[in-house]
Amino acid sequence: MSLYAYCLSDEVTMQMLRETRGLAGAALVLIEDEGLAAVVSRFEDDTVSVTRENVLAHQRVVQQVLTKTTPLPFRFGTLVNEARLRNYLALQRSALDAQLKRVRDCVEMSVKLIQNREAFESATVEQQLTVGNEVQSATDHGAEEQSAQSKISNNSESAAGTAYLKMKRRAFVGDELRQKRAEELASWLAARLVSVVRESEVSVRSEGTLFVKAAFLVERVRLEEYRARLRKAERERPEIHFLTSGPWPPYSFCDISS
Amino acid sequence: MAEEELDILEQSELSLLETLDHVLNRGIVIAGEITISVADIDLIFLGLNVLLTSTETAQEVLGERERRATELERRVVDASEQTSEGSNE
Repeated sequence: MSLYAYCLSDEVTMQMLRETRGLAGAALVLIEDEGLAAVVSRFEDDTVSVTRENVLAHQRVVQQVLTKTTPLPFRFGTLVNEARLRNYLALQRSALDAQLKRVRDCVEMSVKLIQNREAFESATVEQQLTVGNEVQSATDHGAEEQSAQSKISNNSESAAGTAYLKMKRRAFVGDELRQKRAEELASWLAARLVSVVRESEVSVRSEGTLFVKAAFLVERVRLEEYRARLRKAERERPEIHFLTSGPWPPYSFCDISS
Repeated sequence: MAEEELDILEQSELSLLETLDHVLNRGIVIAGEITISVADIDLIFLGLNVLLTSTETAQEVLGERERRATELERRVVDASEQTSEGSNE
């Protein structure tokens, strides 16, 4: 039988977990090693199904610990035997202590920025038209030269080729614009919140409509200040959809791998 | 995910997606000790670190499973139609 691991902490006690159950309703147990404890429960299967029930059970346990102290959360699906876990705690002790210090008294807050599709497409089309006109001018110039050089040409093939190139050019410009836009938004968001966060992890993507994905490590005592700054930022950018959530355990700020 | 789709999603679904985004893709990893299965498709990682991309990956896997089921159903239908045509000749 395996142990399902939820999180690690040097401050967690069974008192904090008194009324909380784990996956499949299993009782929670602490595996301790010189002041550092892993919150676990017994798990009978070899694999953990990614079901709503299991995911929420995992999150419920870690979130319960978060109400009292800031743990280092395990990734969902961590199954381990007791010997392996104890060995891990012993070998990674200094790294784990450093991570616990890093996130002490903090929580993770999440922000995702999603562009209003109409606003972005409108702005993108305008820029693409500008580029398209430049391409058309160059194409016309090239076409005049071609006509002067050769009177024998297949007009339909030339037109189709030009249309194809223009389409590809527009798509390329669109991708560039989206990337540039995403990077600009990421920088803007980071600048708005830098003074109230301890750390940040920001990533951008230019595909689809999710532009910026950010995680912020915020001290608990500064949460209200963080929220106020975020609300102000939202008002500055009405064309952007803000998807905010938190507080979370510091999933994005405990990068230890063994 | 399109903004229009976000508007349609209920708050509970958004909350679940956000939870998936955190618990599947991030957190402490003990190498080789993550074994998860998504909707009967086993994703077993032994001796490897998990490199999932959270919500999108889970949805892609589920979408792929549906696509395969649809394809299988189509093949069954085609095969039964061919059998029927053969028996009528």
